[in-house]
Amino acid sequence: MSDASYKFEKSGRTLMEQLFEPPAVGKMSLVAKIVAYTFLAIWSVFVLFPIYWVIITSFKDAAAVNQGPFYIPFVDFQPNLDAWRAQFNTDLHCDLSSILRQLYLLVHNSFVFVVSPVISLTPMEPQICKIYLAFTNSVVISIASTILCVTVGSMAAYALARIQYKPKFGNILVFVALIVAVIFATTYAGIPWWASSAVALALFFFLVRSIGRYFRMALGNGDILFWIISQRILPPIVVVIPVYVMFQAVGLLDTHLALIVLYAVANLPIVVWLMHDFFASLPIELEESAQLDGATRLGIFWEIVLPLTRPGLAATTLLILVLNWNEYLFAVFIATVKVQTMPIMVAAKNAGEKGVFWWEMCAVIVVMIIPVILMAILLTKFISRGVLQGAMKG
Amino acid sequence: MPIRNNLLGLVVGASALAGHSPAAMAGEFDGVTVNILTRPGYVIAGRLAERGVEFEAATGGKIVVTEVPFAEIFPKIQQDWSTGTNSIDVGVFAAGWGVELDASGLLEDLDPYVAADDKIDLDDIAPYFREFGQKVGGKTKLLMVDGDFQMVYYRKDVLENAGLEPPKTWEDYLDVASQIHGQDMNGDGEADFGSCIFKKRNAQSYFAVQTFAAPIVQTQGTGQGFHFDSATMKPIVNNDGWKKAFELYKETGKYGPPEELNMDIGDTRAIFKAGRCGLLVEWGDPGPLQLDDDATAVKGLIYAVAAVGSREVLDRETGKLVPVTSENAPHAVDGINYAPFAAFGGWAGAINKKADQKKKDAAYAFLSYMNQAEQSSVDVTIGATGYNPYRLSQLASPDLFVEAGMPQELAENYIGAINAALNSLNMASDMKIPGAANYTGVVLDTELARYLAGEVTVEEALENIEAGWEEITEDFGRDEQIEAQGLALGTGN
Amino acid sequence: MAGSPLRESWGEWIDRHSGTFFIAPAVTLILIFAIFPTFYSLVFAMSRVRFTGDGLKFRFVGFRNFAKQFFGNDQVHFLGRTEPVSILGMLVFAVIVVSVLVWLYRSRKITTWVGMLGRTVSAAMAIFLAWVLGASLLSGNSIGTIYTTLFYVIVGCGIQFVIGTGLAFLCSQPISGKNFFRVIFFIPLMVTPLGVGYAMKMVADVTKGPFEPLLSVIGLENWVWSVDPWSARFVMMVGDSWQWIPFIFICMLAALENVPRDHVEAAQVDGASSIQIFREITWPQIVPVAVTVLLIRAVEAFKIVDLPNIMTGGGPGSSTESMTLHSLYVWRANDIGTSAAIAYLLLILTVILCASFFNYVVIGQLRRAKE
Repeated sequence: MSDASYKFEKSGRTLMEQLFEPPAVGKMSLVAKIVAYTFLAIWSVFVLFPIYWVIITSFKDAAAVNQGPFYIPFVDFQPNLDAWRAQFNTDLHCDLSSILRQLYLLVHNSFVFVVSPVISLTPMEPQICKIYLAFTNSVVISIASTILCVTVGSMAAYALARIQYKPKFGNILVFVALIVAVIFATTYAGIPWWASSAVALALFFFLVRSIGRYFRMALGNGDILFWIISQRILPPIVVVIPVYVMFQAVGLLDTHLALIVLYAVANLPIVVWLMHDFFASLPIELEESAQLDGATRLGIFWEIVLPLTRPGLAATTLLILVLNWNEYLFAVFIATVKVQTMPIMVAAKNAGEKGVFWWEMCAVIVVMIIPVILMAILLTKFISRGVLQGAMKG
Repeated sequence: MPIRNNLLGLVVGASALAGHSPAAMAGEFDGVTVNILTRPGYVIAGRLAERGVEFEAATGGKIVVTEVPFAEIFPKIQQDWSTGTNSIDVGVFAAGWGVELDASGLLEDLDPYVAADDKIDLDDIAPYFREFGQKVGGKTKLLMVDGDFQMVYYRKDVLENAGLEPPKTWEDYLDVASQIHGQDMNGDGEADFGSCIFKKRNAQSYFAVQTFAAPIVQTQGTGQGFHFDSATMKPIVNNDGWKKAFELYKETGKYGPPEELNMDIGDTRAIFKAGRCGLLVEWGDPGPLQLDDDATAVKGLIYAVAAVGSREVLDRETGKLVPVTSENAPHAVDGINYAPFAAFGGWAGAINKKADQKKKDAAYAFLSYMNQAEQSSVDVTIGATGYNPYRLSQLASPDLFVEAGMPQELAENYIGAINAALNSLNMASDMKIPGAANYTGVVLDTELARYLAGEVTVEEALENIEAGWEEITEDFGRDEQIEAQGLALGTGN
Repeated sequence: MAGSPLRESWGEWIDRHSGTFFIAPAVTLILIFAIFPTFYSLVFAMSRVRFTGDGLKFRFVGFRNFAKQFFGNDQVHFLGRTEPVSILGMLVFAVIVVSVLVWLYRSRKITTWVGMLGRTVSAAMAIFLAWVLGASLLSGNSIGTIYTTLFYVIVGCGIQFVIGTGLAFLCSQPISGKNFFRVIFFIPLMVTPLGVGYAMKMVADVTKGPFEPLLSVIGLENWVWSVDPWSARFVMMVGDSWQWIPFIFICMLAALENVPRDHVEAAQVDGASSIQIFREITWPQIVPVAVTVLLIRAVEAFKIVDLPNIMTGGGPGSSTESMTLHSLYVWRANDIGTSAAIAYLLLILTVILCASFFNYVVIGQLRRAKE
């Protein structure tokens, strides 16, 4: 950017300009300050008011809600715990032991699933207390899928930052053609999916070896990165119906594993995009010297690179955790009974014919949003340190 | 809240009932969990959960009730059972939806269980519900927990003050509504509404419009139906009969609450309990609901009419409306054709055929427990449960409801209305064929909502419904649908 | 290491192929759960699907599910009512067609044949959307889900961008309490959309909500926003903006803070007014970030589904239904084929519009910024 100095005419200032003229360089005029603070204050109220309203409504009872708006607890209305008690008492099985039981159930069922090819054990039945069930499901699925997503995404981002890939365009076309062939074979010719997939995979490797050398045009890292990041454009609704059928074919419907994997894939582009910037901005000398010392790439990644990007990694993890917590569309299609998450429970209650039982809905919503608000406050600490700025420039 | 009082009563009752256990021994179902899927809210689901606690105390079997939005009940159950996921053991849904599930062989045959059950009293269930609700293809596949009719209710005091008679035809309904609209019906100084109907999309609006259409379109008895021509399964919606029903339905909106288009059954119940509605189109619930603690404004004032009819009926050959005569409407009374609409058919429970045998036994025991007169007769008197009477013992005399707190005259009127509807020879049946949930709950509901919102004209809405219904019929196969319709209406081979 | 055997150890073999192993999980997951289903979805979109006793049965019907949306009985639901066409509608359509064709003609010389192909596709989409706009909205007719979605994207993102950038600008001034505002403004972005929808529904309620006294004073106490299509859409957009303005705010604030202060101060010393500074110095610096942010926001906006589902259930009739919600409701009706078809149409719309915006606006800005 050229360093020209700007010459501006001093004459002909309007009233507005005179009001907003700064008294000194780097300071604001009083009028400008008042205007700025007013707008910011108005916006703060706009932001906080709905949350405040939800929280105080969860402490209202039927009369306080139906007889018109009351704004301030203890002054306008008497807060009480009706809604909260209803949540935990309508389900007559909600007590402390059932939360522990739920956590044990998840461990037990995961174990059962893992050993199922070898031994066949019976999984435990799901929780009866709905709100505990939904909450623990949300917690487990969010955390597991975040770990999966960040791990896979960081590895891919690091590889794209340090290693040069040159996939041949021709190979990609062959792959796409094989996908289409598998789909047609499975749907219309009735060949079982595992057979056609196995054949297609073998065919792909064979073709790559044999005629792959004739393909010239190759793509680069930038193209791969673009492809991964552009997956975010794919509306989940396009994907969810076939994925439902796919999971049904392997018997994974209404399981935690299905949702964990789906959520991870949905947010993978974000992780790759953010982490790629962090990795690309690291000086390469550290890694090169480590390589000369004989470290493996995995060792370098784990011991040297990740600790250097710890703030960025933490920020990304928090962001993905929140996004996974809020996810609704996949759960609607895949979950029936066992893996209902908090958003599903809220949506189901919203459709209830309870009429205007707002206070109960608000109690559930407060349970759903308090964790993410806490995570958001944590996340802003990272943002204010300018951690995500580099990504913006990309 | 009224629920708390009932809960107390339940606990007392449960301990008393411990001796009268369901058709199972104590501890017989230890370690068995039955998963039930049904609609959300206290309505229907709440009672299942509460009775589930009693059941668990008596037999050890746990009952888990999962709620999904009303529009998702049928797709979720169908997908869960037909894909073999089997997360759900029991579905509690509209009796008419069972036909499609049974056609795919997904429902457990309950005849053997019933034969071995000595507590269930099938003869006490009203014949219409026993034969058409619980049985599919001659075999019992469902057990009722609730019987459903749509009726019209009116505020007796408001109409008497205005010197009006309860409406006999839909034109009367509009007339009465217009005259009482704007009056203050609950003494709070605010203008109230002539008519309250739940017109929200994806809710129950499509049942109410069928209550309007049935007396115009069906004249020859239950076996005729008013959705399709039974011989060809061509839809009979694109004609002046249904057109008039749609237009009447829309016009009631002039005398209703401003946000009526966004009100579902929970919202309308809230306002009529607050005393703000002069006329209602509703199921059997307002009868006992007016006894609730938060309905003091209307207690003892909401009376029922069995059905509202029409002086004009549809001539199916020409598609035009003609006045009622004894040939074209043999069941008409005083020149008015009535066709009480058994909307929804009633909530009933069905068991997943592919569930474990132990689970199926426990599930049957629980459904039987809910169905038995001892429990059912308590449940139908509590408005909040959403269960309405379906047993002859409940309908034989008003005593049950008088004991629950209804004034004698009101109880007689209420029971009388239900009996009149049940015994009517021209009663209109809800759809009981494969695709039932789609024909009415989706196609009809969507076009109705769009017509009410002014997005389409009534002619376009009816054309779209006809096209949508034809598409569904083709999907299932026209011949299969003709056969199914015959079975459903009791006229087929 | 001296004396290593000819055969590699297992660890060394992994390290030699570490390139593949690092990127393989991500690529595999995306292939299985994003690319493959996208193709598979086309099969659904071209069939009628039924759930029977033992799984799914497909019946191939070609493009019938798609045709229903454009010409069949779902046309008014999807496209909107397209007749009668008014003069204004025809005029605007003609103007847009002419400008698009001129642009296409001029591009002949400046791009390759691949680029030309891309531009033709963009032009075709522009002409189609212009026709729907002219025939429906500008002729006083009702609009369908396609334009409802575009309304949320274009108008929504526009308003959110203006307000977000404005707030960021205010916050980038030398004021105190910057971090406080940052934290507060960030929270809505993280709240579950379902919760946002419900909170907005309650806050906007006209009989029991907090604005009821205000509405009575104005005399609007019998007005219900959820009964009129445009007010319902507008309230929906307010809810959506509540949630997404923070995103624009954060990004633009980061960008504004990166503008070198010495340029600004030099200009202030020279006597420039704030407006001139913003226009000449600040804005050119932040334009690359601005268009990137807009693109990201638009990509997310096309997928909106939670908010209309909870707040209005699709609105009076179907007026607040976005295309995703339309597809969801059709899926609930067990009509999987049409649901997949609508989802595919959304995919086409999103890809063409986002790719066009990216190619013709974003890349140009980014290139210019590097100079």
